Amino acid sequence: MTEYILAKYNYWIYVVLMMIGLYAMMGKRNLVKKLIGMNIFQTSIILLFVSTGVKKGGATVPILMHAGHEHGAQLIQVSDYLNPLPHVLMLTAIVVSIATTGVALATLILIYKRYHTLEEDEILAIRRESRAYKTPRILNPTD
Amino acid sequence: MAAVIITGALLIYGTHDMPAWGDPDSPANSHVSPRYITEATKKTATPNIVSAVLADYRSYDTLGESAVIFTASISCFFLLRRIRNKEDHND
Repeated sequence: MTEYILAKYNYWIYVVLMMIGLYAMMGKRNLVKKLIGMNIFQTSIILLFVSTGVKKGGATVPILMHAGHEHGAQLIQVSDYLNPLPHVLMLTAIVVSIATTGVALATLILIYKRYHTLEEDEILAIRRESRAYKTPRILNPTD
Repeated sequence: MAAVIITGALLIYGTHDMPAWGDPDSPANSHVSPRYITEATKKTATPNIVSAVLADYRSYDTLGESAVIFTASISCFFLLRRIRNKEDHND
């Protein structure tokens, strides 16, 4: 049982992190809090993938130690180096998350300039109010 | 809240089938990556395997990534620039 927990507890940590992010995205009304929740969600996914590249038993970062020397180049043990592929793919994912965060923050600045609030329900109330004033004119132009 | 808890419980149930943490023989560590670890330096002359894969094997992916950053920065630029123009018109 302890072995099972030790083998799987990293996934549980990521699931908890991911659910924190999901709750922040679904349950909070502030748009900045939603954005932070999305970032936590992405971070949990990145951690999950990086953790699949871990090898126990003395493996180090995937930078070859004796690459320059001719006699050592042939002696590459696969179990000595961590899996490099999750690291590469998560570099791409980090870049994409930075890009989405930047665009979302710019959009939030626009929203704040227009509505002077970042609370979702207040924005919806303002929109509903303005629509209530406008729609009769649009629907009945002859009146 | 209930939906979040249900989703989390389902995901934790799903981790039952995942390989153990740090297992050197897990599918992710035993199928493709040994070839990269042993061949990357011979083929690309780069001791850092991560940068060898990022810039040599997947250089088109990195090109597309830079396109993503470029698009994001351009869209940020135009999103934030429009405001200033509007304010100029109002003043």
